[in-house]
Amino acid sequence: MTASPLIYLDNAATTFPKPRDILTEMVEIYAERGVSPGRGGYDLSVEADELVFEVRRQTARFFGSRLAEKVIFASNATDALNLVLQGLLESGDHVVSSRLEHNSVLRPLHHLVRKGMIDLDLVSFDGQGFIDPDEVARAIRPRTRCVVLTQASNVLGTIQPVAEVGRICQERGAPLIVDAAQSAGNVPMDMTAWGISAVAFTGHKSLMAPAGIGGLVLSPDLEVRPTRFGGTGVDSLSLEHTSSYPHRLEAGTINLLGVIGLGAALRRLEREEVRDAFRLEMELTRRLRDGLADIDRVRLYAADHLDDRHLALLTFNIHDLDPSIVGDILDGDFNIACRVGLHCAPLVHESLGTSPLGGVRFSLGPFNTEEQIDAALAAVAHIARWASSA
Amino acid sequence: MTETGPSSNAAKWVRSASGKDIPLDADGFLINIDDWDEEATRALAQADGVKELTEAQWAVIRFLRAFYLDQGKAPLNHKLKAGTGLSMMELETMFPGGIKNTAPRWAGLPNSRGCR
Repeated sequence: MTASPLIYLDNAATTFPKPRDILTEMVEIYAERGVSPGRGGYDLSVEADELVFEVRRQTARFFGSRLAEKVIFASNATDALNLVLQGLLESGDHVVSSRLEHNSVLRPLHHLVRKGMIDLDLVSFDGQGFIDPDEVARAIRPRTRCVVLTQASNVLGTIQPVAEVGRICQERGAPLIVDAAQSAGNVPMDMTAWGISAVAFTGHKSLMAPAGIGGLVLSPDLEVRPTRFGGTGVDSLSLEHTSSYPHRLEAGTINLLGVIGLGAALRRLEREEVRDAFRLEMELTRRLRDGLADIDRVRLYAADHLDDRHLALLTFNIHDLDPSIVGDILDGDFNIACRVGLHCAPLVHESLGTSPLGGVRFSLGPFNTEEQIDAALAAVAHIARWASSA
Repeated sequence: MTETGPSSNAAKWVRSASGKDIPLDADGFLINIDDWDEEATRALAQADGVKELTEAQWAVIRFLRAFYLDQGKAPLNHKLKAGTGLSMMELETMFPGGIKNTAPRWAGLPNSRGCR
């Protein structure tokens, strides 16, 4: 039997394939200017540094920040979240977060709780996968050092009311840190207008940059201590780490190849047809939702309202079938790649009642087609019939 | 009769028909893959409530074992299908808890903890 072409429905883990023009630009520019940015006085090094700073400007604009100096490059959103949480929190602090968070937020916070450094309150989410800003307001105490919230759940796809939470945080004097790993590239962000103090993002998801580049965008008034130290190319005589941004939070040579890719990806997002792609993804997601809802024994989570508060992803289960078995059958018998299990967000599944096995997640990207969605629906229907007869 | 229980230096163990105690990790995988023999598979299956393996199950176990010894890893799904001549659905039905949750363990392969 000839294998059918791959249907890739794991775009929430990483978008695939990456646009060829971004990869080509990365290789071409890196081949010509891939030297250590800003570490030497020769022209090529200065040019590479200018290139990096231009991507800082692009990134600041993209997230609604006015200060390119406070765009810190990191490996990914997890790396950026560690930078801000460990550099901000001190002994005795209180933090508010949510049960929707990915382990990129939960584990750094849990680590500090286990060390006895911080107290943590996690707000819950409703049956449709949204947190209540008023619940966040009620959780904030006088010693709350920050609120940490995902902009969009990687399990449910629900886009959270971060602007409303930002307003509350500003009123209460608690900086809001937003994890935009899942949303950046699909959901607008205006951190200045929304009162957000820090945004952590990764390049390799909906921004369409390669893996290995992400960052942290800080508001002008948020000060973060360095937690990693080393060479910055600035003030080399001093044994003290550089205090000025962005070098304050960047130690060692940065990922220039990734920065070039991020710059190309951000420029690509400005094109109208790219912006339209997300609308098409949502149309396909609604088609997928309607089809899944019609299959006996399929249970969908938080998928009733696929409006502008939802990403192009759905999580479901087929009755009591282990989702890892569903994933293996989809891959092995239907050549469909998806993510099964807990999606590194254990508390979401605990709240849904799907822990410890989790669920099956289909996440769409700009290259998915109606035919692929129909094929995926046929595959799920086939598995559901098999499960009911087994 | 197969016995299982905790051990001081392993998460648990299984006793084969010849009386050999085989240490297992917390997920029930052999800690030392050299402890494997067909008796070990029988003991692990019995501990899972399967008294006797079918010839089809043995064929899959032997394929997994041979593939691992040759390649140093468990087969990917498409290699598993090609090597056994079975669909994933058929393979899933053949083992309690599904192929991935059971067959590599019975075949004495190392525990490859995937990300959930």
